[in-house]
Amino acid sequence: MIHVRRLSKSFRLYRKPSDRLKEILLRRPCHHNHQALHNISFTLNNGETLGILGQNGAGKSTLLKLLTGVLIPDSGDIQIDGRITGLLELGTGFDHALTGLDNIMANGLLIGMSRAEILAVRERIIEFSELGEYIHEPVRTYSSGMVMRLAFSIAIHASPACFVVDEALSVGDGHFQQKCMRRIRQFRDSGGGIIFVSHDLNAVKMLCDRALVLDGGQIAFAGDAEGAVNHYNRIMARLDEQEARIQARSRRSQSYGTLEAEIIDAHLSGEHSGCDTVAAGERATLSVTLRANVPLEALSVGFMIRDRFGQDIFGTNSFLLGEPLRLNSGERCQTRFTLPLNLAPGKYTLTLALHSQDNHLEHCYHWCDNLVRFEIAGSHLPLFSGIVSLPTQIRHHPL
Amino acid sequence: MNTALIFNFARQDLKDRYAGSILGGLWSFIMPLINILIFALIFSNVMGAKLESFGVEFAQYGYSIYLISGILAWNAFAATVIRVTAIFHEKRTLIGKVNLSLRALPLYILLTETFIFVVSFGFFTLFLLLIDFPLNRYWLFLPLLYLAQQLFAYALGFLLAILSVFIQDIKELTGVLMQLWFWMTPIVYVIGILPASIRPYYNLNPMLHFITAWRTVIIDGQLPSLLPLATLLLFAIALLAFGCWLLQRLERDIRDFI
Repeated sequence: MIHVRRLSKSFRLYRKPSDRLKEILLRRPCHHNHQALHNISFTLNNGETLGILGQNGAGKSTLLKLLTGVLIPDSGDIQIDGRITGLLELGTGFDHALTGLDNIMANGLLIGMSRAEILAVRERIIEFSELGEYIHEPVRTYSSGMVMRLAFSIAIHASPACFVVDEALSVGDGHFQQKCMRRIRQFRDSGGGIIFVSHDLNAVKMLCDRALVLDGGQIAFAGDAEGAVNHYNRIMARLDEQEARIQARSRRSQSYGTLEAEIIDAHLSGEHSGCDTVAAGERATLSVTLRANVPLEALSVGFMIRDRFGQDIFGTNSFLLGEPLRLNSGERCQTRFTLPLNLAPGKYTLTLALHSQDNHLEHCYHWCDNLVRFEIAGSHLPLFSGIVSLPTQIRHHPL
Repeated sequence: MNTALIFNFARQDLKDRYAGSILGGLWSFIMPLINILIFALIFSNVMGAKLESFGVEFAQYGYSIYLISGILAWNAFAATVIRVTAIFHEKRTLIGKVNLSLRALPLYILLTETFIFVVSFGFFTLFLLLIDFPLNRYWLFLPLLYLAQQLFAYALGFLLAILSVFIQDIKELTGVLMQLWFWMTPIVYVIGILPASIRPYYNLNPMLHFITAWRTVIIDGQLPSLLPLATLLLFAIALLAFGCWLLQRLERDIRDFI
């Protein structure tokens, strides 16, 4: 169990470290403060998984460093029943000249195990890491995946009270990652607490009982994982808007066309989430605002969903849907497409186009590549494989 | 932080020096042996003869024994000071990832340097036995002398280590100052060759008293004068206490800076 009460941490920023001594001697402040964490309180119960979300610089690593005792807080207190391990130490505790076996001892001692404790679990560590005979080779000969396997094995076998899972876990291959996740669940079921720090929103939704969203060193949201992910996205959207204004010009350069008609604005929003992160199967509305610069008889508005590999997933347009558009010069219009996003979790982009009839090759008025981004996280659908879920009915006929 | 961890750091430290070499750990014995041989055989003839021209008389190997007894003690002292000073810098990645006690971390350097000293001193003793040089009962006092000297080294290095987090030049400066200190201490030469006018200032050099004590026991077979040693011991303890107090006040900043 971890109990954190009103934790605050600020960094005094000095122009150079010697200014700190000057400050003591002259008794005159020579720094400015950076409040990294402000008034953080939370509890992690045994057998619970707590997610921590936040953009870069929100205070996630400072919080973890305070929890592990590497940094000392300004105020507030931390209560941990037992030790806290994770992959924070990945590789750093390893002496690359020593063999894997020697490093198990060195690393184990480093994270606070006793010699006897290490000897008791050493065989299990070796077995879990799947290093086999390589355990007698120096660590410098290991691949990064092998180093990670060894580090994970030691950390999870150190019988910690809490295990920290962060991005470092994504190093290993798929097989070992799954094995790690199984082991982590097993650890949780046996009463261990888990702190999960990740940018993988889908994983946070799937794994965490509760989650915190950190923003500018404060807790912006604390509650269930789904709510946290939505809140996090709203923060990110706020950032995206700022970014969008900056990128407005460069974006236009990625678009082309005769500009006889123009796309002015476009955004996608989930029915429940209200933002551009939607659950698989959730209905979402794509709103496209456009303007005709000359009179147009048969205008067609279209979109194409692409996955992160740039592969076309699905596209259609107003002409194919039987709703062609007629606009006078200077007239504006908002077109809304509503569709269930039956897609697998991941990141997607939307490419939008205005053209005549169904043919964008001949009269392309405005084409905007990857104008809108959205993410599928969590699911309202039964589990499925592949990138798209096709509505499927099933019936068993006894023969 | 448990003792097993400190011992493991020391073991790793010794292993790392010669990691990958064919003779491996054997080198921790070969290097001191070669040093002793160089001092015993070569220096005794060259430098000893030179000093005799100043009117200092040495028996055969007399200068070798004089030199080695001083230089072994000095090496242990200097290496401890220099390495403890650099400790937070050397282990910064570890300190930034794992919760280590900053107070106890440099202890492993004391262990490593003690190991090297004991091996070297073992060879020195062997050399003395070979040339039929008499050992005496005051040798039992030597471990205590060593402890007092190393406590002083540790306290000094610890204080410098804390300061060097804020003023990085201290790490470099320490190396230079130790060189200077070496030549300010009668290790290679004898105090008799100095003009009498500056000798009183020499008494302010703590290392003079430690080095003299080593020689009083090994060469003269007498108990060294205890007053300066006891004073230095108290001074070392006070210095260490001051270092600990400073660390307590600055630990937060040290961890932030690292």
